[in-house]
Amino acid sequence: MSLLQKERDVITRNEYADTFDFAEIENFIANAPKELFITHHFKKRDRLLVQPRGGFPTYKKMFELYETFMGADIDVLPLTVDSNTRLNDYAMAQKMLRLSEENEMDMLNGYPLVNHGYRTTRKMITHFNKPVSLRHGTPDARLLVETALASGIFEIEGGPITYMLPYSKNFPLDKAFLYWKYVDKVCALYSKLNEPINRESFGPLTATLVPPCIVIVIQLIEMLLSLEEGVKSFSVSFSQNGSMMQDIVTSNVLKKLAREYADTFGSQDAIINLVYHQWMGAFPRNKELSDQLINTNTVIAAMVRADKIIIKTRDEAFGIPTMQCNAQSVANTKYTLRTLKGLPVMSDAEEEENLELEVRALMDAVMNDPADTLWRKVFNTIKSGLIDVPFSPHIINHNAVITIRDDQGNIRIIDKGKLPLPERCFAYEKSKVNLPESKTEVINKIIHDIGAML
Amino acid sequence: MSKLLIDVGSTYFKVCQQSGINQYFRDFNKDIFDDLLNKCGDIFSNYAKEDIYICSSANGGLSTLIIGLTNSFSLKFAKNIAFNSGINIIDTILYHKIDEAKAPGELIDVVILVGGIDGIANVFDEKLFHFLRNVHYNNIVYVGTKQDAMFLSENIQELKVLGNIITEKLHVNGGELKEYLTNLYQADIVGKEDIKHLYAITANQIYSTPYIVNRSLPLIDANFDVVNPFIVVDIGGATTDIHYSRDLVRDNIVSESGFDRLVFKKLGVYKSRETLIFAAKNNEFVYELLAYLNVTENILEEESEKALRILMQLSIFLVLYKVSRLHPLYVTLHLEQLKTVVLTGGITKVLSYEEAESIMQFFYKKVLGLHAIPNIVMDYEYAIWTLGMQNDTASRS
Amino acid sequence: MKVVTGVVGNDIHVVANRLIDISLQARGFEVFNLGVNTSLEEFIDAVVETDADILLISSLNGEAEGWCRDLQFLRSEYNLREDVIFVIGGNLAVGEANQDDIIPKYRSYGFDLVFHQVDLNTGLDELERYVKERA
Repeated sequence: MSLLQKERDVITRNEYADTFDFAEIENFIANAPKELFITHHFKKRDRLLVQPRGGFPTYKKMFELYETFMGADIDVLPLTVDSNTRLNDYAMAQKMLRLSEENEMDMLNGYPLVNHGYRTTRKMITHFNKPVSLRHGTPDARLLVETALASGIFEIEGGPITYMLPYSKNFPLDKAFLYWKYVDKVCALYSKLNEPINRESFGPLTATLVPPCIVIVIQLIEMLLSLEEGVKSFSVSFSQNGSMMQDIVTSNVLKKLAREYADTFGSQDAIINLVYHQWMGAFPRNKELSDQLINTNTVIAAMVRADKIIIKTRDEAFGIPTMQCNAQSVANTKYTLRTLKGLPVMSDAEEEENLELEVRALMDAVMNDPADTLWRKVFNTIKSGLIDVPFSPHIINHNAVITIRDDQGNIRIIDKGKLPLPERCFAYEKSKVNLPESKTEVINKIIHDIGAML
Repeated sequence: MSKLLIDVGSTYFKVCQQSGINQYFRDFNKDIFDDLLNKCGDIFSNYAKEDIYICSSANGGLSTLIIGLTNSFSLKFAKNIAFNSGINIIDTILYHKIDEAKAPGELIDVVILVGGIDGIANVFDEKLFHFLRNVHYNNIVYVGTKQDAMFLSENIQELKVLGNIITEKLHVNGGELKEYLTNLYQADIVGKEDIKHLYAITANQIYSTPYIVNRSLPLIDANFDVVNPFIVVDIGGATTDIHYSRDLVRDNIVSESGFDRLVFKKLGVYKSRETLIFAAKNNEFVYELLAYLNVTENILEEESEKALRILMQLSIFLVLYKVSRLHPLYVTLHLEQLKTVVLTGGITKVLSYEEAESIMQFFYKKVLGLHAIPNIVMDYEYAIWTLGMQNDTASRS
Repeated sequence: MKVVTGVVGNDIHVVANRLIDISLQARGFEVFNLGVNTSLEEFIDAVVETDADILLISSLNGEAEGWCRDLQFLRSEYNLREDVIFVIGGNLAVGEANQDDIIPKYRSYGFDLVFHQVDLNTGLDELERYVKERA
């Protein structure tokens, strides 16, 4: 038995999980209908796939949610897990699930997938016969992902950086790399049986004034880490940042460099997709205005030629949306996309050249680290502040980079911390902004820029 | 190119060649070198001095006293660095309580003084010198604020001053102190007459065993059926070492290796037998535990093979108890997330897998309320140290 | 002047925390930011290690109340300098509460300045004024 299989036996042997029958699971995946694989839909490249977020504690309510989504002609179903499961606290998830079932009240903010188990969940997934995407935020997602794949969930979001730096203060980053390596290995293993399993990175990060060069570098790194383990389909992603032009520039550079780096690292056969997240910052408390913001986002998603869009709802400012509200948002987005025709192809040579230079400089810093493995190079680079995510709570992150918006809404770097940006790039960034004289005003502008959509 | 690896323990010699590991019970009437030569002399003749690597835990480790300004920074950082440098015996004193503190009776190998970020001054005063007058120590090192270094050097003879272990962002910077302590430990090992002679057969530096084990941890899961997060429990005659994956504990230290070490200094089945029994008798679970093992309290006073096994089971229980949330001291490990327990050291020669499993089941059910237990790996051959040694040879060549 | 700052309890409110950090720096303070999820003992210990002049704690979910009661005890335990200024700000109560109840309560826990639902710059202006008056 291989070491990986032995490890899988240990990981899946858990008090709160189903007893795993790997032979049966392999058989299920090998014979699963193509419709369940998002990769099958990506291949057609005939439309922008629409996916909301959503998860309820009980099977019954989750089933209702999916039924409601199906009524809105949904492309990709979401499965968002609860926060106990994200912290691997299955005992608490179990307790809260029981309470939710007994009291018809939602005591969890998502679906406790491990506790429900794959045998139960698979019935629901196969019933709807739509691709399902797993959304979580877990540094150690080994058991969760095993359960998801066995359930028929063939798209796994997350990564060692994008699910760590925005959410955790002190989970050791080196361990997160190790645990995501396992996830990628298992995804790669199952990818040989049928259509490939899709891995997706979480580009929005902290969703707070993160400059495009940081987003792109982290997307490229997580892509390379997955491809290294044999993953054959990967989605890079980012979220609306507040300037349509900067989104287009980001998309053009990200697409170009993702392909280039994948090829250079020997993954010419890997499929790379682009996912666009609607605005991930604070939403207005006015629902009509929220609808407008969502609609604008949909237009930009089409402009950046994304393969999938992850949408928000008009209830965003108020917590977990009702299923009806969520489904309405899917229907609205689909309508906008259906009626939006004849989009121009846009680019900005100067901006793209500058962004590309920045990204290459940061990638060089990673690759030039003397460590012998890619993940260790990345670890060292983050630890030394050469990669720095604004507004991350994690103790390893330097938090020295300061960004602000220019008059066009573009996010610009005004303090580069230890980012190894070429002088000319940094000069370009700074030349775009007119900083107020008073430092207090600069802070006020940053506060204003964070809440750009309020 | 094959190498010969030798671990000199307090009870056994372990000798590792390509063909496998052999163990030899030590003859305490003999000098270590003579004993080793007597038992394995013919093996040495097959290897060049450059290909023989030795580590030792026979000297029992260094004793340390740490005096620091706060729990969350000075003491926590210094303890972390000391444990990871292979230092065993640690007492700590919070500086603002130094007036009430009692000086340790025994001779201390190294006193560590720490407090304050660089830039602040007058952290330490007369109280420190007064206290130190009653402490017997061989070495003393200062790793606190730069501004106090001069003042302390003027008042403490032979004070070694190193870079501050607390950075200006209040993070840990352990490099210099770790190197100093590791070297001190090395010097202590080779300073022992017995060990010094071993340089007759090796051209390589002799390391301490805890240091070597720590180095092997990142390699373990690739070589054994060990799944992260894991702990390695080394229950010895005098002390118990525990090495653990850092994701089992959530403290705000950015570390290098992903693993930390902790030592229980008076928990062992031979030399520390008395304190082990004392701790066991005072544990809230002891009667249930003895009933579960189907023995009575009297067994603890017996000198039988059976008593030894029970004692070892008790020690596994106590170690886990001491790092569980029921015992909030230096660290609390999230044992419910633990995937593997590696048992190594003397106990693997006595306890069966079933006996280890049964005590783990008791612990998990009683203390954590869980029925599923982590995977248990018995390091029967005490092979973990060979990984760290081999790694050492690989990185040097 | 040196300021130790951070967020108490289980508040994951890193944006506010980072903005306070940048704002204090912009006003010329030397900042030691302990980030989110900081315990009271860590706060006090950081003041001791840095010999800070000000401790500025933020709390956004009304979680501060539970443990702020230990403040006086820890303060005397460590023999902290008498002139360290203790400030707390953010959303200090769970649910509706009025300023007249909250401010005296937190004062009695040992805080010199209490900002309940006060905007960042207004709070920091007041802190600077307070520092000047005391000097």
